[in-house]
Amino acid sequence: MELSLKRKYLGIPYLIFLFIFVLLPLFVIFYYALTDGTGHFTLSNFGHFFTNSRAIGTLIYSMVIALITTAICLLLAYPTSYVLSRSGIKGGAAWLIIIVMPMWINFTLRLTALKEILSFIEGNLAFHPFLNTIIGMVYDFLPFMVLPIYNSIEKMDTALLEAAEDLGAGKREVFFKVMLPLSMPGIVSGITMVFLPAMTNYVVLDMLYNSTYIMGSLIGSYFSAFNWNDGAMVSAVLLVLIGLLTWLTGRVSDDADREGARL
Amino acid sequence: MKRAFLLIPALIITTVFSGCGQEEKTGELTLRVANWEEYMDQGEWEEAIELSDDKELFAENTLVDDFEIWYEETYGQKINVEYSTYGTNEDLYNQMRLGDVFDLVCPSDYMVMKLISEDRILPLSEEFFETSVEENYYIKNLSPYIADQYKKLSMDGKPVYDYGAGYMWGTLGIVYNPDYITPEDASHFSMFSDKKFYKTVTVKDSIRDTYFAGLAALNADTLTDPDFKADPEYKEKLTEIMNDTSEETVDEVEDILSVWRENVYSMETDSGKSDMVTGKVLANLQWSGDAVYTIDQAEEDGVYLSYSVPDETTNLWFDAWVMMKNGIAQDSRKQQAAEAFINFISRPDNAVRNMDYIGYTSVISGGEDDSTVFDYINYCYSAEEGEESVPYDISYFFDGEGAEGTYVVEAPPEQLHRQLFTQYPSTEVIERSAIMRCFDADANERISRMWTNIRCFRLW
Repeated sequence: MELSLKRKYLGIPYLIFLFIFVLLPLFVIFYYALTDGTGHFTLSNFGHFFTNSRAIGTLIYSMVIALITTAICLLLAYPTSYVLSRSGIKGGAAWLIIIVMPMWINFTLRLTALKEILSFIEGNLAFHPFLNTIIGMVYDFLPFMVLPIYNSIEKMDTALLEAAEDLGAGKREVFFKVMLPLSMPGIVSGITMVFLPAMTNYVVLDMLYNSTYIMGSLIGSYFSAFNWNDGAMVSAVLLVLIGLLTWLTGRVSDDADREGARL
Repeated sequence: MKRAFLLIPALIITTVFSGCGQEEKTGELTLRVANWEEYMDQGEWEEAIELSDDKELFAENTLVDDFEIWYEETYGQKINVEYSTYGTNEDLYNQMRLGDVFDLVCPSDYMVMKLISEDRILPLSEEFFETSVEENYYIKNLSPYIADQYKKLSMDGKPVYDYGAGYMWGTLGIVYNPDYITPEDASHFSMFSDKKFYKTVTVKDSIRDTYFAGLAALNADTLTDPDFKADPEYKEKLTEIMNDTSEETVDEVEDILSVWRENVYSMETDSGKSDMVTGKVLANLQWSGDAVYTIDQAEEDGVYLSYSVPDETTNLWFDAWVMMKNGIAQDSRKQQAAEAFINFISRPDNAVRNMDYIGYTSVISGGEDDSTVFDYINYCYSAEEGEESVPYDISYFFDGEGAEGTYVVEAPPEQLHRQLFTQYPSTEVIERSAIMRCFDADANERISRMWTNIRCFRLW
């Protein structure tokens, strides 16, 4: 009993951290998003956003970039994780380290290198800003997709797969009916870790010469024009949107779990 | 009032980061200085500059360290400078709004004006402008040309000259690679929409600078018209045109910049310099100081770049030191130290140290008694013996606008469109330069909206 009480105290530093760096800033964001320049309550900031076709255009552009990035990451990461954890190739863990290793190198440094490589291949980078952005994003976020998927496949009980085969399921059925649902939690956390940052990561766009704003750059532009209210408003819109997406993917993952349990 | 209450969380957040180290020990003075990144000499030079046979300049310490030593020697008071840096005027402004307190900061012209209008700057003291005081290096060595420009500029009836002590100044122009781009092409802002240079030129990701360039392109016909230039009120009218932020004008500039956006390689924040050196980009809209740096760097790699100031006009800009009211807080010792800091970095030898390190041009000319600055220009740019040379007159900077023939550099002809010209623009360039004022809130909103429109994705 005493021990568990003491354990609770261990959480206090994190609680303080949470309060100062998460809750307070959130509070400030919503305060600015819901007030005008003089501190009066208003919803007009949101009105600005949803009536501005350019802002909506930016939102959609960001989502398209994030969607494509996530889809490509998933397509690359799943087979890779599968091979590494299941096919019994020698030194699977070592291969994993190689995949994850780019994360150990500074992000801007990696992008600078990528910029040179792409320039070498394409000649003039500015002709393909969208393609470059997708390549940059995938390059940047791929490890975040591989790790959770690898973990979920690795942890999977092989007996379940064998049982399915014994009961007469074909290879295809085993994969779609057993393996994929069981690895859903990994896929979902991979998607959240890639999709959300990809919507705001404007450094990739800046460095690979895509002059079109995504959500991150739009927020930044408001703040450098001293327009904190609209800047906070866009952040709030994004926050709500992300919250919604997380909730949705969470439900999908729960459903998959339940389906898995029924098996 | 509600707002003040809400700022408390913001204050807690910032004080968590910066709250420590603010207590002052009695006896020791602390001066909090904020400056642009890479904007002051860091010392550790590898070799000395030989200005003349008996004059040499060498820096071992950072300029800030040297100030601390000098201050204690001169005034018998120990001082500690807390030096920090920022990346843009807006960063500085936001930092201060979030509760960072500085005594002395160095924003650009328009930000100085904004801070004056918000009544946040302390005017420089009368003693600071007293030329008889030995240590008043700033007023004794300030270029008369620059002093005139400052005196003409005011905000809400308050002359900028009384509030800000100049630091660096320059023009806005185009760095270009003469192997691919002719000087004629590089002498018009319209080059950024020229299909000949499709995806090989860049403009800045900076609202004010690119707006200025777009505005100049919009008014190109008027601005280059000889009749307009001959107008006795040319300067006033030019300044008026280049500060036009009416709804209609902003819309027209938006159309121009939308075309530029499609035509340019990128709207760059900081990659322009290195992209010029590696040859990805053939021309780049650039501040003169960064242009000097770019030309120097490229030269080390065997690429020879030039600088041009378009025929239409150029933005004459400057950065100035201002004392913040909330930092100094009526502490006369602090104010004295802040002014001493400005004076120390304005001493001609220190001004040269800074110029040599950062590539920008100091507002210090040295006046008649001190030839350090002119010696430095000669050291950098005058032709070797036996080398072909042409006279380049920069007397206006040392003796005031209209002066001729007193300060002439005998430079190799190429320097007339390279570093010398970039650092000290010719009289013709000076004549067609305009200062961009601080815009009011409405104008700022119009321009930021324009910028967002250009940068956002178009659905239809």
